[in-house]
Amino acid sequence: MADPRVERLAEVLVDYSTGVGPGQIVILETTPLATPLLRALYRRVLAAGGHPHARVGLSGVAEDLLEEGTDEQLEWINPMRREDFERADARIYADAEANTRNLSGVDPARQALMAKARQSLRDRYLERASAGELRSVVTLYPTNSAAQDAEMSFAQYEDFVYRAGLLDRDDPVAAWRELGERLRRLAELLGRTKELRVVAEDTDLTVGVEGRTWIPCDGKENFPDGEIFTGPVETSVEGRIRFTYPSSFAGRMVRDIELRFEGGEVVEAHASQGEDFLREMIDLDAGSRRVGEFAFGMNDAVHEFTAHTLFDEKIGGTVHLALGTSYPESGGVNQSALHWDLVCDLRSGSEVYADGELVYRDGAFLPDFH
Amino acid sequence: MTDPRIERLARLIVEYSLELGERQILRIDAPDAASPLGLALYRAALAAGAFPYTNVSVDGLLEILLEEASEEQLAYVSPLQWHEIETIDALATVWSEANTRSLSRVDPGRHARFLGALRQLSNRRWERISSGEMRWCGTLFPTNGHAQDAEMSLERYEDFVFAACHVDEDDPAAHWRLVAASLRARADSLESVRELRIVGLDTDLRVGVESRKWMAADGRYNMPDGEVFTSPVETETEGEIRYTFPAIYHGREVEDVRLRFEGGRVVDAEAARGDDYLRSLLDMDDGARVLGEVAFGLNYEIDRFTRNILFDEKIGGTMHLALGSAFPQAGGANTSGLHWDMICDLREDGEVYADGELVWKAGRFLEDSPTPEPVEAAERG
Repeated sequence: MADPRVERLAEVLVDYSTGVGPGQIVILETTPLATPLLRALYRRVLAAGGHPHARVGLSGVAEDLLEEGTDEQLEWINPMRREDFERADARIYADAEANTRNLSGVDPARQALMAKARQSLRDRYLERASAGELRSVVTLYPTNSAAQDAEMSFAQYEDFVYRAGLLDRDDPVAAWRELGERLRRLAELLGRTKELRVVAEDTDLTVGVEGRTWIPCDGKENFPDGEIFTGPVETSVEGRIRFTYPSSFAGRMVRDIELRFEGGEVVEAHASQGEDFLREMIDLDAGSRRVGEFAFGMNDAVHEFTAHTLFDEKIGGTVHLALGTSYPESGGVNQSALHWDLVCDLRSGSEVYADGELVYRDGAFLPDFH
Repeated sequence: MTDPRIERLARLIVEYSLELGERQILRIDAPDAASPLGLALYRAALAAGAFPYTNVSVDGLLEILLEEASEEQLAYVSPLQWHEIETIDALATVWSEANTRSLSRVDPGRHARFLGALRQLSNRRWERISSGEMRWCGTLFPTNGHAQDAEMSLERYEDFVFAACHVDEDDPAAHWRLVAASLRARADSLESVRELRIVGLDTDLRVGVESRKWMAADGRYNMPDGEVFTSPVETETEGEIRYTFPAIYHGREVEDVRLRFEGGRVVDAEAARGDDYLRSLLDMDDGARVLGEVAFGLNYEIDRFTRNILFDEKIGGTMHLALGSAFPQAGGANTSGLHWDMICDLREDGEVYADGELVWKAGRFLEDSPTPEPVEAAERG
């Protein structure tokens, strides 16, 4: 029998996250591993009166391109993909990897070249998304590879994923709306703040956020969701931060990342694993040394590290910052081909100050922050 | 280790069939079941300097569309599909089904409306292919589903498929270039023929082919390939034919079809099984009772019926005569929604006369006929 949670996930993604309506073009992007979800989404989009278009790639293509392609082939942008992003009313992307380390052996410089070439595509996509023309949500369909990264059995990982999406609740959409309300109130409070200071072990970082907009994330663009973010003032970030969690990014693992900032730019970067890759990414372009996003993870149904950014950055009691491009709706103006989220656990021995006032301790906002 | 025959098939399609050039955009249509060949095609296209991308069809989506879509959704052709058909330079289609009968229970009316809506796209695609703006090649990647239809184990079926493509040899392209020359010569030799007479078991049929163009199917549009074909004169087919292999249309089999023609049209039809289906297809439209194609199957690596038209119509020693739409490039004028290839086995004691002269006996063109040797003999000789 089909897992009823897959049906519920499809319902929430189509009806709530992207709100598909009659006649709308809906791009469904995933791999063959997510076939049960793809079928459920396809059905649900039809039921909503939309026109589903499945875009399923073959696993292994990225490795072949990166290993065997010429520079020109790496930099090629498929005009069909451009057309998808230009025409679609909605897009649902489901991560479903067979092997999250498939690109570990690839020359990082070639990945950088490809990322740079695809920036214009990403920019256009973000432009239509922030103008409200393209509603797009990113989710994950459980695979053994993701379960392995999380150090769980497949069944345990499925439970984790669907719980994180609040799909075990009687009315998941109501639960997401409720969390959204809480985040909106918090966004107002943070909107009055000029500067945040994060203090934890090996971390003392100040981030200017004056005049920027805090965006509550309630399951419309990420699923699961539960965070509140902004785009910091580009020149403001000062100090150092040690990311407690490893980061699985672009098909490889980077561990124990430590960054030092001056005038908004990374001036020192270390990692115990993947340092070469880290440096390559930081040197990608003019914007890749700056912070494009600063955020608080606010999903209390996610409490363990699973080595997947979609979930790790939502862990209630963490902060994350992204090197690279910012989201225009937050007021951030940094531009880059990079957007790399790095997560720091603040649940023990940590504090956050808003304009000098202690507002957050050991992973939670203080009740008198209002 | 990867089966080296898959790599060779991919290179053959990219280099020989599609003649893919630098910076050409190749779309690779392949279901997940065919991913070894899909990836091999992708790598071969990269090596050719092209811009390939893969388009994976997922089992079950078409059934959902056919069963659950509204009429509007069923007939919808997306601007994205139009853009794609106008943009790509080449298309490689890999047929590979886990279950070849998955659409057996679908409402035929809805299926027909879906195909009807897609026809405008496929017409445009054929237009671009015929004018040389775009290349296309269709092939098959073996699955248990196809092996089951062929009544073979998967391993035996793989051997069969790869031998038919000649990718079990070191240089399949060299083989296919020889085939192309041989088929071209054969086609040229048939140009002057006014009438073919086919004689076999319960078969004595005259087919007019005067001033029609014979085409050599040499591995560019299909892999495997190996036939010469034309479209007969629409009003001249006379006599009777018995098709010894089951005739399959959209997955449904009709067994032991016998047809009688007068003045180019079927006037009598019967089948041992599927008689009703046969009659309903003959009555589909005005052109459905007229031959649109007559062809010689000349791939002698394909020596048995496997319930897949890509292979069956090329069985060395057979002829096929299709009811329905004709090929304009061959000079054919018949139009119909039907194009139903039916295969007649002539390997036992079949004879074919060209304007009265015996040119083919027991599945081979005669040694002394004024045309080159059959493909296989030409190569091995």
